[in-house]
Amino acid sequence: METAITLNHYLYVSGVLFAIGLAGVLVRRNLIVIFMCLELMLSAASLTLVAFSRYHAAEGGPDYDGHVFLFFIITVAAAEVAVGLAIIVALFRSRETTDVTEIDSMKF
Amino acid sequence: MPVYALEIIVVALGILMLMLDAFAKLEDKRSIAWLGMLGLIVVFGLLFRVEMPDAEAAKASFWNFYSPTGGLSLYFKGIAVLTTIIVLIMAADHSPVIVSNTANPEPGAHPQAGLGEFFALPLFACAGLMWMASANNLVSIFVSLELVTITFYVLVAYMRRNVGSLEAGVKYLILGALSTGFLVYGFAWLFGITGSMDLGEIKTALADSSVNPTAALFAFALILVAMAFKVGAAPFHMWVPDVYQGAPTPITAFLSVGSKAAGFVVFIRLSGMFLSSEFLVGKVSMILGVIAVLTLLIGNLVAIPQKNFKRLLAYSSIAHAGFLIMALACSPKVSKAGESLSPTNVIAFYLGAYLLMTLLAFLVMTTVRRRVSGEDFDAYKGLAKRSPFLAFALLISMASLAGIPLTAGFFGKLFVFTLAVQDSQWVLLTVGLIGAAAGFYYYLKIVASMYLEKAEGSETVANYAISIPARIAMIILIVAIIAAGVMPNLIFGLL
Repeated sequence: METAITLNHYLYVSGVLFAIGLAGVLVRRNLIVIFMCLELMLSAASLTLVAFSRYHAAEGGPDYDGHVFLFFIITVAAAEVAVGLAIIVALFRSRETTDVTEIDSMKF
Repeated sequence: MPVYALEIIVVALGILMLMLDAFAKLEDKRSIAWLGMLGLIVVFGLLFRVEMPDAEAAKASFWNFYSPTGGLSLYFKGIAVLTTIIVLIMAADHSPVIVSNTANPEPGAHPQAGLGEFFALPLFACAGLMWMASANNLVSIFVSLELVTITFYVLVAYMRRNVGSLEAGVKYLILGALSTGFLVYGFAWLFGITGSMDLGEIKTALADSSVNPTAALFAFALILVAMAFKVGAAPFHMWVPDVYQGAPTPITAFLSVGSKAAGFVVFIRLSGMFLSSEFLVGKVSMILGVIAVLTLLIGNLVAIPQKNFKRLLAYSSIAHAGFLIMALACSPKVSKAGESLSPTNVIAFYLGAYLLMTLLAFLVMTTVRRRVSGEDFDAYKGLAKRSPFLAFALLISMASLAGIPLTAGFFGKLFVFTLAVQDSQWVLLTVGLIGAAAGFYYYLKIVASMYLEKAEGSETVANYAISIPARIAMIILIVAIIAAGVMPNLIFGLL
């Protein structure tokens, strides 16, 4: 039996990836893991973009707008990770923890 | 001179400041801040001299991701520059606190090591805010928004020996990155539905009935989550109080004015595309209305029991976001009827007024912070005796935030309520009035404690040293608040 992979398949996969990332951010307690889950969400968005781009055939080829956006996302995500990890390291130095439940010195 | 030269100048100025910090042997690094301030004043003057290319030429050029048209984008660029100037003044005043919290233990290091970047980074954020005001393409909105956000991650966590600042930085980082995820996913869907990255083309495509409404609303919901994070609207406001309290005070001011104004520019543009589509407008404006009600209630009611001035201003900033979203939710029918008071103009006016009064409050706070450690209300008890000028400045600022007549804040709220009446949004109007009434209580509580209570055990007469730039900025802001409160057309004339 042959089934072609359609746009919907890509959208389901990226939707699941996004949900996994979001669930990870909400459930996990380690800052590093939370950060990984955030990157997973960005990857899900990137996959959606490329899929849409591929299926939006413009003038014979795929619509490259989505691809270009993808490169911007990768670049920005890299910058975000660089800054983010530096902040997490600085916090670890002063608090000796990466557990978010222990980061609670300010409260309502 | 083309409009985009302004952003280039600001970025170049920022790089120059970094280079000076690294290579020039400066005795006092605050001179970097003065340089940045002077440069930005020049840029502010140039704002009135830029030429607007016509829309057709702009579309064809390399700069087609950048919309130079419209006085509104210039107005928001002005807000960004003005905010950054005052933030630099505050940063220079705040430098002893920054230095003591970033102290470098190495022997032989410059006593102000690491201070230079604190003055240079706001310039890059400013360039991002200015660019955001002109962004007319999903990619350029995303990149400019991230330029601002990533700079703010660094600035919020800048005091690296201070646990509060680091915690605020981590919270802002995680929630900011989360909202970026939502934004990008929403943009991806928007691109998928409409097949374009250009806001104008997306608007046309969304108005077409062949668009799948479920998918369009899904994209709107994702973008709304991200924008609500950025402007601090409920139910995504949880980061605001903690980040505002932990961040260095000048950066709190920057966050609450600059990033909010820019967030709203993007919010207006993005929600405008959905609101102009006939078969989406009902649902979209209803969702915006619900967000506005929640934000107004949470911001105003939770502000009442606050004990820390910075935290109070955080909730006040949430409350003001509520009023602004209220104006946005009133959009559809009103703009069709061709009223002179369009929601965009009202939001622009409100943000201008909000800039004046909030920056004034933060200027007073930075000055008081040099004498008293901490930002609790106790530090402001009997301030009128110790420094009549500071107390008067804070009085004007609080009166305007509460919306007392003859101040800019009064007209801001009045216009929002007028919009709600024109659009017959009675629920929104009621909640807005309740919020404004609560505002009177918690803003004027501080005024009462400044003028009526006595300070406990501290000095009776004190010489609160107000630096000259801060004093000039305070006087200008006080005059501007009252001028805009008497003649609101002054601000409308700038649009």
